[in-house]
Amino acid sequence: MSNEQSEFAEFFRASWEPCLRAVLTVVGHPQLAEDQVAEAFERAWASWRKVRRHPAPRAWVVRTALNAGASWWRRRSRELPLADHDLTAPGDLGHGLDASLLTALRRLSPRQREVIALRIFLDLDTDTIARQLGIAAGTVRMHLSRGVMALRRELTATNNHGG
Amino acid sequence: MNIHDDMSDTDVLSAARDSLSGMPLGSPPDVEAIMAGGRARRRRRLIPAVTGTLAVAAGAVLAVTALTPASLQATRQPKPQPTVKLAAWSVTKKANGNITVVVRELADPAGLQSTLRADGVPASVTVPGHPDPWCRPYPVSQALFTSVYHADRTSASGDTVLIIHPSALPSGAGVQIGATVGRNAGGRGLHRADVNQAIHHAVHQPAHQAGAHNSVLRAVLVYASPQCTGG
Repeated sequence: MSNEQSEFAEFFRASWEPCLRAVLTVVGHPQLAEDQVAEAFERAWASWRKVRRHPAPRAWVVRTALNAGASWWRRRSRELPLADHDLTAPGDLGHGLDASLLTALRRLSPRQREVIALRIFLDLDTDTIARQLGIAAGTVRMHLSRGVMALRRELTATNNHGG
Repeated sequence: MNIHDDMSDTDVLSAARDSLSGMPLGSPPDVEAIMAGGRARRRRRLIPAVTGTLAVAAGAVLAVTALTPASLQATRQPKPQPTVKLAAWSVTKKANGNITVVVRELADPAGLQSTLRADGVPASVTVPGHPDPWCRPYPVSQALFTSVYHADRTSASGDTVLIIHPSALPSGAGVQIGATVGRNAGGRGLHRADVNQAIHHAVHQPAHQAGAHNSVLRAVLVYASPQCTGG
């Protein structure tokens, strides 16, 4: 295995899980997320000389994966009135997870989920997220703030209902 | 007052990360398979550069490619080429065994059927008004259906995308893909209807792609048989 191949293999092994969790948080469908992330890593290897010099190669993978397919979350919200029974239940995503957190995530906009996923799984700062998404840092802060506010509200409401 | 009232932003994000990190994930694909896929992509990017000088040869390669399963190609070439691309549709076999079918227009159903079968999927592809009399609907639950199929549409082109997970097919079952024109055809997005006790998913084809017929692409499960699915 060449140095380049070893370098990519190491990047792949270290990055697969955080990238998949980030994409899964945004798209909400495990199989779709897995396919999209696999495709993104294939593209990363196809363009490895460029990607290896990228300031945030994991973010490159996540963005590429998200561009590879339409968001299940977005489609779900658009089609809920037509075919609510038709789509994979959120519970499929949330085995053993906090139901209130999943509810809160589902209510966020795709961009808010994306910003939160890049922050919590790739540990990117605001400026890096802004560069990756091609939006202003102030817009990232707004999405992050509103997303966190919604998550906190949901967690709080659940806690109150739960006694 | 409860524990969440005074959570800082960092606390909220940490709680979200901790909870989402508990999601069980499957094993990652083999890195060699990923790199093989990447090499295939790189080669496809190079194809336009040589098309002008090798047009005849490229045509011959394409003709062979259309008739050759991705898995078979992988055995014939040192660097596997897992994708078959045609104008009307494309079939891609992923490293994890999943099959992605991208339908731009509903042409050459026989070619699509033979390509899917060649890639190891017991498959039947039908056209509007010509149901396959050999095929019988396979009774499925919603959970089984969604484990076999995922329907989507690419954000960029609007093409219909159907992901098939062959490993989720029960023994004795196959896939059937077909175009149909029905009352659901005028709808939008993903639909489900019970027809002959089979669950159908339909993805609305944009009118400009479906031509005069406002077609939908349907995917169902059927009993596998030599006559219906080829095996």
